[in-house]
Amino acid sequence: MTINPATVDPIRRDSSSRRIGHFVRRHEEGVWRVGGRTASLLPVAALLFVVIVLAVKAWPAVKVNGFGFLTSTSWLPGNTYGGVEHVHGVMIPAGARYGAWPLIAGTLQTSAIALIIALPISIGTAFALTERLPKWIAQPVGFFVEILAGIPSVLIGLWGVLVLGPFLAHDVYPIVANHVPNVPVLRYFAGSVGYGEGLLTSGLVLGLMIVPIIASTTRDLFLQVPPLPKEGAEALGMTDAEVARRVTIPWVRSGIIGATVLGLGRALGETIAVAMVSGSVLGAIAPNVYGTMTTIAATIVSQLDSAATDGTGFAIATLAEAGLLLAIISIAVNLLARFIVRRSSRMSAPVGRA
Amino acid sequence: MDEVVRPDVDPKRIASVLTELDPDADRPANVIETSGLNLHFGAKSILAGVNMTFARGTITALIGPTGSGKSTFLRTLNRMNDRVSGFRHEGDVLLDGQSIWAPSQDLLAIRRRVGMLFQRPNPFPMSIKDNVVAGVRAHGIAKGKQLDVVAEIRLREVGLWEAVKDRLNESPYRLSGGQQQLLCLARALAVGPEVLLLDEPTSALDPLSTESVEQLMRTLTPALTLIVVTHNLGQARRVSDNTMFFYEGRLVEHGPTSQVFDHARESDTARYVNGLMG
Repeated sequence: MTINPATVDPIRRDSSSRRIGHFVRRHEEGVWRVGGRTASLLPVAALLFVVIVLAVKAWPAVKVNGFGFLTSTSWLPGNTYGGVEHVHGVMIPAGARYGAWPLIAGTLQTSAIALIIALPISIGTAFALTERLPKWIAQPVGFFVEILAGIPSVLIGLWGVLVLGPFLAHDVYPIVANHVPNVPVLRYFAGSVGYGEGLLTSGLVLGLMIVPIIASTTRDLFLQVPPLPKEGAEALGMTDAEVARRVTIPWVRSGIIGATVLGLGRALGETIAVAMVSGSVLGAIAPNVYGTMTTIAATIVSQLDSAATDGTGFAIATLAEAGLLLAIISIAVNLLARFIVRRSSRMSAPVGRA
Repeated sequence: MDEVVRPDVDPKRIASVLTELDPDADRPANVIETSGLNLHFGAKSILAGVNMTFARGTITALIGPTGSGKSTFLRTLNRMNDRVSGFRHEGDVLLDGQSIWAPSQDLLAIRRRVGMLFQRPNPFPMSIKDNVVAGVRAHGIAKGKQLDVVAEIRLREVGLWEAVKDRLNESPYRLSGGQQQLLCLARALAVGPEVLLLDEPTSALDPLSTESVEQLMRTLTPALTLIVVTHNLGQARRVSDNTMFFYEGRLVEHGPTSQVFDHARESDTARYVNGLMG
């Protein structure tokens, strides 16, 4: 049977949607309250769910690996052809011994390098975009910075392994390695430079990836700083750099810390780009900044396939435990940032003042 | 000077000693002079043909309707307009007889000598004490413990010391608007300026705070020369020695304040000071 639309009563046709609309209007406050609360609980639920699932999956590995997981450097999958042993009631491949210290160290090292490089570049970029460059240059450049933030990390990893790594290993690292003095910290810049896959290359690639995140957020923050305090500082005879250091940056300090944590979170968790340029060497800490290494996230993605061949499930449990560590590090970094913001925002201006 | 008149001392000698001690003795009588000053933003002319002298140690009020060019004029005197896009000037501004745009002039030094107070309080995001000494620090005038002394002296000078002495390390944003403006005044005074430009300094303040800022302005002369833009005609009348009336991009009339207010030569001036034109 076909229905001629013209014969359908327009009021009746709309009636069901009208009834819903009527219900929403009558109970608007209640709908908003219930809907809002449900929505606001979702992120909490999601975080709890992820952490709990990780913890459950990781539990056998936590029991077997014990506290030594944090300090040991071995990464031995054991006999995957049937030989098993039992440790604390958990069945594991014979000879399996896992330690995550190199992964933890690699994660923290690459992220630290990335942050040390990205923070000054980002703040400098934001400063140039808001205070220095004429608008007709600043706008397209700002647009490109935002585009860069959206480039898939696998492409940056590919560029890192095909272009940046070889270039650095041939033309930059040897010069640096041959000229650094033998003093603490800089000592790690001497020695064999390898093939361009390793700690420093990973840190540089990560730094490049988080610059747009920190820079574009910081630029938006700088634009919110009212002109009057900056003019006050200029009128007092401060240089542009002093105005930035004493007024503009402190004005939005808590926001910059927030942006930095956002970038750091990305660096800590970045997986595929690091897996491509780190050299993916398990069980060892890089002897110098050029050394091959790996991170927690990169290990999880590169080892998942082979871990699935472990019939006891112990290798998967160990990867889950590593993932749990990464989650804990990320949460700890966020809490630390909160603490810093609370301590440093004592002097910051109330939003929208002056 | 009554107490220095003593029979055993020659009054002429006292006069010569005082002259010798006067820090401004060998300086031009006019701290700022403008000659043929024209100001433009892009193609738009803001102010034309301003010839004016500001005698050392006096207070000059700049009055006129909104858009008459008085604020632009004020902000030209410490070169705050230089970086505004499209700003051009013809003519010259002399500070102690030297052009403020002369290549040998150091912009930062000019800003130190010609301080500024703004329409609204603009404390920096740092502690009350750090606010007072921000300029002192930047110019390297004092450091370490000396800064505490500078802060106390300047806060006493503006009458804020008793109110803030127990919270020098706290945020300035919890102070009242009037207190914040006094803090900004202490900050401007701390670098030891010769001239202070005030851009409607009390327009955001309540009457009591306005009163205390006006009182302070009188105590700052003759050590400083004050140039104040104001929309408050009563204020211009109360505090200033001389008044300049700006209207439609011209300096219409200037002279001693009582003359401008009571015996204006131009009809526009008379209409404005009598509230017949806003």
